[in-house]
Amino acid sequence: MEPTSRQKVSPFLDPGSITKPNSLAVIQLSRDNFVPVYLKQVDGEHDGYAEGAVLNTRFGSFPHSTLIGVPWGSQIRASKVDTGSRGRKRKRQGADDATEGASSEANESNKNQKNDQASAEGLNGTKQAVADSSGFVHILPPTPEIWTTSLPHRTQVVYTPDYSYVLYRLRAKPGSTIIEAGAGSGSFTHASVRAVYNGYPAEGKRTGKVISFEYNEDRYHKMQEEIGEHGLKGLVHLAHRNVYKDGFLLDGKSPEADAVFLDLPAPWEALHHLSRTKPKKDGEEQNGDAEWVSPLHPKKSAHLCTFSPCIEQVTKTVSAMRRLGWIDIEMVEIANRKLHTLRDRVGLNLQIDRGVNNSPRDVEEALTRLTEIEDRFRENARPRPAAEDTEMGEDDISGEAEGVSKPATNGKPKVEAPKPKFPWQDGRLITRGEPEIKTHTSYLVFATLPIEWSEEDEAAATQKYPVGEEQKQVVGTLDRKSRKEERRAELQNKSGNRKARKQERDAKIAEAMTTTTA
Amino acid sequence: MHSVIRPNSWVVIKLPSGVTKVLSIVPNTTISLGKYGSFPANLILGRPYHVTYEIQDKRPDESFSRLRIVPASELYEEVFAEEAAAGCSTPSAAEPAGVATDGELTLVDAESGEIVTRSTEELIETARQTLTQDEIEELKREGNNAGKDVIAKLLSSHTALDQKTSFSLAKYKLLKQKKYIRRFQILPMDVATLAHWQLEEREASKIMDMRAEMLALVGCWGNVHYGGEDVFLEDPKAASDQGVEACAKVQHDLLKGRWLVVDDTGGLLVAAMAERMGILNTDADEDEVAPEATDAPEVSRSTESAAVKEEKQGVDTEMADTTDATAPPPEKPKLLKPRASDFEIPFSQTNTITVVHGASQPNLSFLSYWDFDAVSPNHPPHPLLNHLLTLSWLQLLKPELDTSYSTPPLTATPETLSSWKPSRRGNFHRKRRRFARTRHIVDTTRAGGFNGLVCASSMDPISILKHSLPLLAGGAPVAIYSPTLEPLAVLADLFSVSRRTAWSSGSLPELAGKSPEELENWQGSENFPLNPLLLLGTSIQTSRARRWQVLPGRTHPLMTERGGTDGFIFTAWKAKPAEGKVAARGRFKRKADAVAGEGEATPDLDPKRVKVEENSAVESEATGTPA
Repeated sequence: MEPTSRQKVSPFLDPGSITKPNSLAVIQLSRDNFVPVYLKQVDGEHDGYAEGAVLNTRFGSFPHSTLIGVPWGSQIRASKVDTGSRGRKRKRQGADDATEGASSEANESNKNQKNDQASAEGLNGTKQAVADSSGFVHILPPTPEIWTTSLPHRTQVVYTPDYSYVLYRLRAKPGSTIIEAGAGSGSFTHASVRAVYNGYPAEGKRTGKVISFEYNEDRYHKMQEEIGEHGLKGLVHLAHRNVYKDGFLLDGKSPEADAVFLDLPAPWEALHHLSRTKPKKDGEEQNGDAEWVSPLHPKKSAHLCTFSPCIEQVTKTVSAMRRLGWIDIEMVEIANRKLHTLRDRVGLNLQIDRGVNNSPRDVEEALTRLTEIEDRFRENARPRPAAEDTEMGEDDISGEAEGVSKPATNGKPKVEAPKPKFPWQDGRLITRGEPEIKTHTSYLVFATLPIEWSEEDEAAATQKYPVGEEQKQVVGTLDRKSRKEERRAELQNKSGNRKARKQERDAKIAEAMTTTTA
Repeated sequence: MHSVIRPNSWVVIKLPSGVTKVLSIVPNTTISLGKYGSFPANLILGRPYHVTYEIQDKRPDESFSRLRIVPASELYEEVFAEEAAAGCSTPSAAEPAGVATDGELTLVDAESGEIVTRSTEELIETARQTLTQDEIEELKREGNNAGKDVIAKLLSSHTALDQKTSFSLAKYKLLKQKKYIRRFQILPMDVATLAHWQLEEREASKIMDMRAEMLALVGCWGNVHYGGEDVFLEDPKAASDQGVEACAKVQHDLLKGRWLVVDDTGGLLVAAMAERMGILNTDADEDEVAPEATDAPEVSRSTESAAVKEEKQGVDTEMADTTDATAPPPEKPKLLKPRASDFEIPFSQTNTITVVHGASQPNLSFLSYWDFDAVSPNHPPHPLLNHLLTLSWLQLLKPELDTSYSTPPLTATPETLSSWKPSRRGNFHRKRRRFARTRHIVDTTRAGGFNGLVCASSMDPISILKHSLPLLAGGAPVAIYSPTLEPLAVLADLFSVSRRTAWSSGSLPELAGKSPEELENWQGSENFPLNPLLLLGTSIQTSRARRWQVLPGRTHPLMTERGGTDGFIFTAWKAKPAEGKVAARGRFKRKADAVAGEGEATPDLDPKRVKVEENSAVESEATGTPA
């Protein structure tokens, strides 16, 4: 990596082993709850916090100083951060910053104390964070997957199940050039940069690129900002453009793309720009007689994917594709399911807890319980002999008490089943889908455009690989007749050989015999 | 990917019937496609991929068939005609044309469902076809315009063609086309095509039924990508009488962009990951450098192989390989350099795949479709040669038991060496080289710090994770594929909320007095096969692509798709748990309202209270649903 280290490598592509200041990191609050953070190293107070920049979450406050310089994946403890006085102080400063009210004396002393502490710690005037008793988060390096779940939504997002499949089918690999129209929220942009990345552009080296177009000006500016912050400059070329009208060229030059992803409301309006030769749109010649340049790589088949939610869009797109010579047109939709694993706890002997079903686990358990109830019922109904009555008086009372209390505690049978030692081993392991599933994201239409093949190309190829000097060798399947023939010839050949060999051998032996006898 | 078909390259030929064939195109041979005919291989060499070729009738003066590129407009002729008939000549006019009601389809009733059933019961094709099989054979033998005449004849001699609905007519035509039209398509060999071919037409079980969706997901969740420019270790310049001590040391700070792969799919997974890292195709660079000089690569290839023969093997091969890399690392002044010493490490320190295998040799047979042979001693240049590291589980876990790792290298003084026969000398160097390489692979792998783990294995994922988790860098993603759900469910259960809670509560006797390193390298106990804190965000998912037919007025999902195993992937990130006890926070007023309600305000809670708070807190946090 050393040769290119002048360019700061995006944390998406190489986050390094520890977190660095002024770089993007992702805070995992809980399972599917991520917060992107730009780590800031600030000298002194920042935004009212003595600790410098602070991230506040519902799991506590995290000064950036505790997040910087730690290995990725680290569990970070929350810190004791004075969030309360900050707000009050600000208000007060706004109203009157000269006089110090008596009520804020405590606050002030607190602050002084902090300052003392800071100077004692000697950390550039920034207060050293003090760990709190509870609360933690994890810090993760940004990846397109995490970014997709945590990014600020601007449009509908292309999620991982879709973009992974799209990039796979588009044959995006290091060194490819991808055109993306409709940058949207940028999730596909990040994923495709990772796919085509093979180093930052340097002189005399063609590297993988993403050419991204966005029509909406707001989104364009936000996206531009993001690209800068994420260190993707040079890898993503973002343009603010209406591609229906203005096509995909960069300053009149071809980006030489070999893959195209169109997340547009009307892909068929843009498709004619993606031809190899000057297209005729709607049967009429496009005006402008300047030399037409194709945005596609002239020597590579181009792969295209459009992403449309409606079937009508697909129909129109496919029809346009056919007319423009795209082949292998295929439409798919991706259904992704997430599964949760949990312990299904059913049984009469289980502790009452959330998620526990206190009904019989199996027929046997039900039977035991029913028998018990039945027994008890009979015992109660039976007229007792006097002697027994007096003898068992006390017992009976306790028995009755049990009979009453049992149903309340879900009728525990007398013989307790051996309780599993640990709660996490209780019950049957099951998997269950998410409560809400994405049943439809969009239809993906894939197509391929082979390279243009002219008469001259054909002539050159013919000259290079002349026909007519084929050897006997045949590759591939033969029809039955010729296969049989070949086999027969082979067998004959073999047997002939064998005979010849045998004769040879015999001759040799005979020779040897004669020499030895002589 | 190449722009045109090259000699001796593997290609995929797609036949009209949908069957694909995988062939290596050898110049000056004949390629036979069975009943679709045959043609000289030279006719497709140097020609483009993806276009549709048609095998033409033999010319009277030639003994072979020539090919013709079929333009797309001809391929879609019928669709265009239908579109025109349905009155939607422009793509913008797409009415819900479920049932067309114009002249062509006068037989069609208003309700299409009814018609379709009627047509199927009425039209028994064989009965209506007046052409006999012999006649068809006859037709096929004589020149027939690439099968188109046969189809036309079949259609015209069908007595009940006019009774067919447009749907059944289209179906009938398609059926006949599949059978008689002499067309084919050539696709380049890449991971997607190979996987599809292996799944649909060969043995799906060989690649663990891994569908495209899953292969794509595993790569993404494993965050597999190009891992930086090649960096090579300096040649230690070990003399022939120097032993282990002269081996190049592992330099941790150079190791970067490395992925750990466990592959029981015969190399498909490795190929897919290598493709994502840009180290699968031999000449990705050549294409970029000299796109116009199509014959240049061949020349360079032959000179290279000559160079390889000239020099020895292995290490030298690697040298030859770097010569055509566009930007060789500055540490390697190639060509001027004298021959590398035995202990030179041919592997790059970055952008590598490390494959751990269960057998003594890795099974990476599918890589042969990209001209890579893992065991070939004298290999022509290939990027995988210095980016693919393989070692067995024995070498990883108990290297001292592995002979090739633990046997010290042979040594000999230059004098004795020169007194030996060349073959013995060759052997001596070969063994020393192998030693240095094994040493390097094992040592760097054991050094850990991998950027991700990708796995598709028939082995128990728990056992794989037990040994590979400590090797991962913090924040590194884990993506494990399994054809069935159960093993992954069991695995995910090891990271359940209750387990994590119990583990972090600090009350487990088995954890008492364990150092952080010991916890990181947790070797498993009965209750905790894995340290539940080592993975974050564990999740299981599955994906399925549903394919559709898109035709004017006949758009619907395909009626059948591949069944069998669905395929699931488990994803997570490696965590670095904080040392000591960590209490969670959250809204945890459900269980112990009175106790926890004040919890946040009063930091000096007695231990009992903290525990209550923590349990529920971890739970609410981990499920993402504040109680």
